[in-house]
Amino acid sequence: MLKLMKLEWKKQRVNSYFKALMICIVSIFGAVSLMAWTSGEEIEPLFPDYAELMKLTNVFIRIVFIIFSSVLLSRLVIDEYRNKTIQLLYTYPLQRKKIIQAKLAIVFGFCFFSIILTSIIINLLVLSLNPMFPFFEAPVHVGQMVASIPTTILNAFMIAGISLIPIYFGMRKKSAPATITSAVLIGFLINSTVSNGGTSASLFQFIAVPIVMCLVGLIIGYLSYYKLDKIDVA
Amino acid sequence: MESVIRIRQLGKTYKGIESVSNVHMNIKKGEIYGFLGPNGAGKTTVMRMILNLVKPTSGEIIVLNEIVQPTSYLYLKNIGSIIEYPVFYEALTAYENLELHCEYVGYSHKVAVEEALEIVGLHRVGDKKISEFSLGMKQRLGIARAIVTKPDILILDEPINGLDPIGIKDIRELLVRLKEQLGVTILISSHIVSEIESIADTIGVINRGRLLKEVKMDEIRAQHSNLEQYFLQLIMGDDQHA
Repeated sequence: MLKLMKLEWKKQRVNSYFKALMICIVSIFGAVSLMAWTSGEEIEPLFPDYAELMKLTNVFIRIVFIIFSSVLLSRLVIDEYRNKTIQLLYTYPLQRKKIIQAKLAIVFGFCFFSIILTSIIINLLVLSLNPMFPFFEAPVHVGQMVASIPTTILNAFMIAGISLIPIYFGMRKKSAPATITSAVLIGFLINSTVSNGGTSASLFQFIAVPIVMCLVGLIIGYLSYYKLDKIDVA
Repeated sequence: MESVIRIRQLGKTYKGIESVSNVHMNIKKGEIYGFLGPNGAGKTTVMRMILNLVKPTSGEIIVLNEIVQPTSYLYLKNIGSIIEYPVFYEALTAYENLELHCEYVGYSHKVAVEEALEIVGLHRVGDKKISEFSLGMKQRLGIARAIVTKPDILILDEPINGLDPIGIKDIRELLVRLKEQLGVTILISSHIVSEIESIADTIGVINRGRLLKEVKMDEIRAQHSNLEQYFLQLIMGDDQHA
C-alpha cells in the first residue's frame, strides 16, 4: 500500500501541489488579516478576539481544502478513467482496490495534513504578528492555541472524510468539472452561516452534520473500490 | 506442445447483446497466434477478457495453468500487452513511463528500460515527454512497455496501427526475434492480414463473436493460396450463412 502510494505520488507529481498549498495558506491568512485590519478602526471590529478570528479562518480553511482535495481527486482518480490509463493500471499484477485505496489515501492524507499545517502556520503568524499589527484588541495566549489543537485535529479528520464525497459525482460521468463543482457546493453548504445580527451559526457547528458527512465520504470512498475487482473496466 | 492460454466456451453478454459466444482457443507456448476478424468481431473483447479487464459471462480462461477468476491478478505479471491503442502519462517522459511500468510490475529495471527503448528505436527520445510523441512513436513505445519486463506472453491488439512501413517491418522482426530467441508466446490481432501471414504460426478467425476456425498457418499455406483469400472465404461464408 505504501509502495503504491509512493508510486502514485511520483507519477502524479503530488509534490507540485505543495506550492499551491503555500499559496492557499498565504491567501487565507492575507484575506483574514485584511478583514481584521480594515475593520479594526470601526466602532465594532469584525474580530474582537482570537476565537472570532479563528472562526472565520477555519471556514476559509474548510472550503479551500474541500475544493483543493477535489482537484487532487480529479487528477488521481477521474483523469485516470478519462485518459484510459486506468486500463493500464489494471493490467498490473496488483489488486485494483489497492490501487484506488492508495489514491484515496493520498487525497485523505493530503487534505488532513494540509489543514493541520495551515492551522499551525496561521496560528504562529497570528501569535507573532498580533503585537505589532493587531488583528484584534484582546491579547492572545499560547494556551488558547494549544487548547484548540484537539478540535483542529478532529475537524481536519472530518474535512478529509468529507473531501471524498465529490468522487461520487465525478465518477458518474468520469468528469473532473463535476467533481470540483460538487466540492464547491459541499464546501459552501456545510459552512453556510445564518445570523440574526447578534449570533451566527453554520451547519458545521452542529457536530452531527460534519460527523455524518465524514462517514458518508468514507463510505463513498469504500464503495468506489469494493466491487472493482469483479466488474468490467469501462 | 504445452498450452499457455486455453479458452473454453467463452462468452460475454453485455446489456443483453452477446458480443462473444462459445469461443474456444488454444495458444501454445512459444508460438505467434494471429487473431483475425472484421471490426467489431470480438477480438478486443476476448483479449480484454484474458487480461481480466472484462469479465466473461460464461466459459473459462486458463493462463499458464491458472484459471482466471474475476479477482485474479498475479498471473498478469507474466503478460505484456497493448489493448486498442497505447495510453501513457503525457506529463512524463518516455523513460519515466517505462520506469514507472517496471516499478508497478515489480521488475528491476536499471538496464531494461534503455534496452527496450533501443529495441523499438526510441533511445534518442527517451527524455522527451509523451505529449511531444507522434502516434507512430506512441505505438513503438507501447511495444517497448509491453516487452520491457520480459514477460512470457504478449497480447498485442493492433500493435502496428499508426506505424510507417519501416516501423511495421521493425516490429515484425522484433516479434519473430522474441519468439525465436526468448520463447515468448504472442497473441496478436491486426487488420493487415499480410502482416499476420508473414509471422503467425496459428491463426484464429473470429466473426460476430464466434471463433470460426483455429488453424495452423502451414495448413493454410498447403491448402490455400494465401491467408487473405482464406480469411475472406471464411468470413463471407459465415455472413451468408447468417
